[in-house]
Amino acid sequence: MIQRTGTSPALRVLPATVVAVALVSLIPGTVPASVEQITTDVETLAADQMEGRLTGEKGAEAAVAYIESQLEKMGAVPMPGEKEFRQAFEFTAGSKDVGTKLYFRAGGEDGVLEDRTDVQALSFSDSRAVDGDVVFAGYGLKLPQDSEFPYDSYAGLDVEGKIVVVLRYFPGEVDRDTRALLARYSGLRYKALLAREAGAAALLIVTGPNSPNAGEVIPMQFDTALSGSGIVAASLNLDSAEMLLKKAGVEESLKDLQTKMDTGNPHVTGFPLEGVAARLDVKVERERRTGLNVLGYLPATDGGVNDGIITLGAHYDHLGHGSGGNSLAGADEKGQVHNGADDNASGVSAVLEVGRALAKAERRRPVLMGFWGGEELGLLGSTDFVAGMEDLSPGVGAYLNFDMVGRLREDKLTIQAVGSSDRWASLIEQANVVHGFDVYPQQDPYLPTDSQAFYLEGVPTLNFFTGSHEDYHRPSDDVEKVNMEGIDQISRMATLMVRKLMKDESLPTYQQVERGKEEGGGRDSMRAFTGTIPDYTAEVEGLLLSGVVGGGPAEEAGLQGGDVIVEFGGQAITNIYDYTYALDAVKVNEPVQVILVREGERMELTLTPRAR
Amino acid sequence: MNRLAISLSIALVVGAGSAEAGAGGAKETGEEELQFLTRTRQLSYEGLRAGEGYYSPDGTKMVFQSERDPKNPFYQIFELDLTTGETRQVSPGQGKTTCAFIRPGSGDIVFASTHHDPKSEQYQKEELEFRASGKERRYSWDYDPEMELYVENHETGELTRLTHAKGYDAEASYSPDGEWIVFSSNHHAYASDLSEHLKKKLEIDPSYFLDLYRVRADGTDLERLTVVPGYDGGPFFSFDGKHIVWRRFDEEGLTAEVWLANADGSEARAVTSFGAMSWAPYVHPSGDYIIFTSNKLGFANFELFIVDVEGTKEPVRVTYTDGFDGLPVPTPDGNGMTWTTNRRGSSQLFTAKWNHANALKALNEAPARQELPKKESSSK
Repeated sequence: MIQRTGTSPALRVLPATVVAVALVSLIPGTVPASVEQITTDVETLAADQMEGRLTGEKGAEAAVAYIESQLEKMGAVPMPGEKEFRQAFEFTAGSKDVGTKLYFRAGGEDGVLEDRTDVQALSFSDSRAVDGDVVFAGYGLKLPQDSEFPYDSYAGLDVEGKIVVVLRYFPGEVDRDTRALLARYSGLRYKALLAREAGAAALLIVTGPNSPNAGEVIPMQFDTALSGSGIVAASLNLDSAEMLLKKAGVEESLKDLQTKMDTGNPHVTGFPLEGVAARLDVKVERERRTGLNVLGYLPATDGGVNDGIITLGAHYDHLGHGSGGNSLAGADEKGQVHNGADDNASGVSAVLEVGRALAKAERRRPVLMGFWGGEELGLLGSTDFVAGMEDLSPGVGAYLNFDMVGRLREDKLTIQAVGSSDRWASLIEQANVVHGFDVYPQQDPYLPTDSQAFYLEGVPTLNFFTGSHEDYHRPSDDVEKVNMEGIDQISRMATLMVRKLMKDESLPTYQQVERGKEEGGGRDSMRAFTGTIPDYTAEVEGLLLSGVVGGGPAEEAGLQGGDVIVEFGGQAITNIYDYTYALDAVKVNEPVQVILVREGERMELTLTPRAR
Repeated sequence: MNRLAISLSIALVVGAGSAEAGAGGAKETGEEELQFLTRTRQLSYEGLRAGEGYYSPDGTKMVFQSERDPKNPFYQIFELDLTTGETRQVSPGQGKTTCAFIRPGSGDIVFASTHHDPKSEQYQKEELEFRASGKERRYSWDYDPEMELYVENHETGELTRLTHAKGYDAEASYSPDGEWIVFSSNHHAYASDLSEHLKKKLEIDPSYFLDLYRVRADGTDLERLTVVPGYDGGPFFSFDGKHIVWRRFDEEGLTAEVWLANADGSEARAVTSFGAMSWAPYVHPSGDYIIFTSNKLGFANFELFIVDVEGTKEPVRVTYTDGFDGLPVPTPDGNGMTWTTNRRGSSQLFTAKWNHANALKALNEAPARQELPKKESSSK
């Protein structure tokens, strides 16, 4: 599962009572063959030799080879019209600045900035040069016209064909609700989009003196975009920005300007830097790589119908050695292999196991097993697959995803995206009467896993999940902690569900679900880090913590796993979206009051968020 | 939800309000509950709500009622095969239905239904329109005088109407040998020459007239078992067939107590003197105690309780979870419990492991009952 941005999950810490309870009473001393097979799958995929299965690396390819061998063995075939199980997709493994320069001319003087501490490309920038006059456009923000807080940095400014200089983040001295609103529209990519739409030729972003990481150029972030964002964009350090202001004869410092704007006063506007012309020559090199999906097909047996493919899937990739920025390894674990036994060797094994059962059965509808690469890098493999889905005949009729199903505890099984079809509640009821999980259904289909790619293309989806834990995205997500019997039971239940789906008169109907509040352009905007680990399996009033990050602000504040946050910075918290929203509104290094319920007692603590 | 079937004044609480809240709030479960109920899990997921689940004697089937048809806003009867998970609709789909029970030995299913009423479709339409208007009503039960008992033949699937007189005939269950049905009815009130005062009463609160009846499974030998003013309803046989247990409201319909009598209605006595709304009693297969639901701890707070069959002790609280807990039914082996609760959102069937040993222990340690049991003189 990819990290859910915006909620700073850093999933760690669970009580040590990780009790594996098998649902069937096993005869002591014997292990069913299916559990042995699952154990082999998980042990193989999560072995150190697989080197954490980072997409594009040879560990991932070794995992692909293992999955292919298992598909072969069960009698699955490649997709109709394909010769191989594996399907390649292209992606950007990273981008680097290879010589960005900012030339400027003012008052007859020429100059150039070429040091990476002065100017550096933004990872999503186009790689080309543009010339233009320079305009300061404040925070470079523009809120939708129907929003509660009308704000448009570009109002009254002519930026057509010009190079726009803007401040990073958003005005900080505004009320809580406005902060939360602004935060959503202040992401770097969103600012680039706004500048492009306003007609600007290039964008320079400077981190203001009043902001976190004041004055520094913005590090090139991990970005999997295959191409640029249609605009030339770079970040500028504070001294360089001040220098340009001086060249234009502006008497106020950038600090003065930022302070004036920080009140959110919409009448404080930008202005052209008179007499300053510049040429921004951005040179970004994107490293293109090839990732692999593995697709195994089980055609309908004689007399079947071909109205849709029942599809099962799991991503097989993980974080490698954790260098990609989404590792949560502690200081003493950095650089170790992230084995990803739960995330998501467990899901791969579950899908293989369902496939093994269905391969031997009569199938009224065809079944597809999809093993996705690039999930951890942003749902790359599944997104590539769904992009070509409309060429399939028949199409995908339903999609069941398995992401982190290796930590079954006390039979608690979370099934997500139940709102994506009216068939799911009845199907879960029927299958679970037999299997007896403590099923927690969740409606929301917008999930940080591959099922979302299918849902967005109109496919009814479900995601099976046994809950977050302290080893999430850390090298300690190891085989020993996986409940193999639990995977076996989940795959049995899923097999029954697929059998029922194959038997159904018609395919499940797709239901539109309104998207939660989590959206916006603020993915990489100023996010406060709190070190709380939400428990995604529980639907309680408030935000239940499964734990706190060691040494993080939450731990320092005295929070612990099991706490239910009901108010954060004066904002009532009833669910995870409220919490995300509240996080947007808090300020780095500014203490917030947290009201929580611990063992029935209401408590108040003070937490000081840090910059990420 | 209808074995509760309560008069309007007390009809709030149970379903509606929190049932509509949806997936919002799992409620905190108190540790104390775990001494009786463990591995609690939700059994039904489909539809707006479900409840009143009753087992076949071998524990492989369950009948229950649920609102699952978008075209009919009223409960319909379903049979769930617990070995395959397959659900089958038993009732015809039109009108209101309630309270099904599986006949031991044959697998026939008795339930109450209004589908023969020509107005039933109109009522469905009206209720759907009311819901579409965005208004919410508290759960209420109207004691429709068209409610009649039907039996579905297990072999042929044919429906046979068992009761014919105008009046509410419902809340039926079979004796363990499958020979008898006990149920609640007020048909005598519609047939008799009532005073003006009582006529008015019948219009406003038909439940006041409800009494227990028994009838042979084939519909013969109808016999009235109670003749006390106030609502007698929700009768079940004990597992040995010797007793029936039910709830009896006072004349005002404000409080109800759990009552026990011999299978023929004789020797009726109150098992509780709890002074609250205590209802939906069911005898545990061991015959040692009765499990029921009561709002003893707060008007809107229904919890499950157990009490020894003779009512010598004060009832012992079983559930410690916010929200409604009611309509408890032990599994036939006595080691499980299924009940209706809205602890995770809408009212649905839940099931758990039942700790019989702890139940006996807790009853043993319970204090003596505060009041002496009342003997009923007017019955039979």
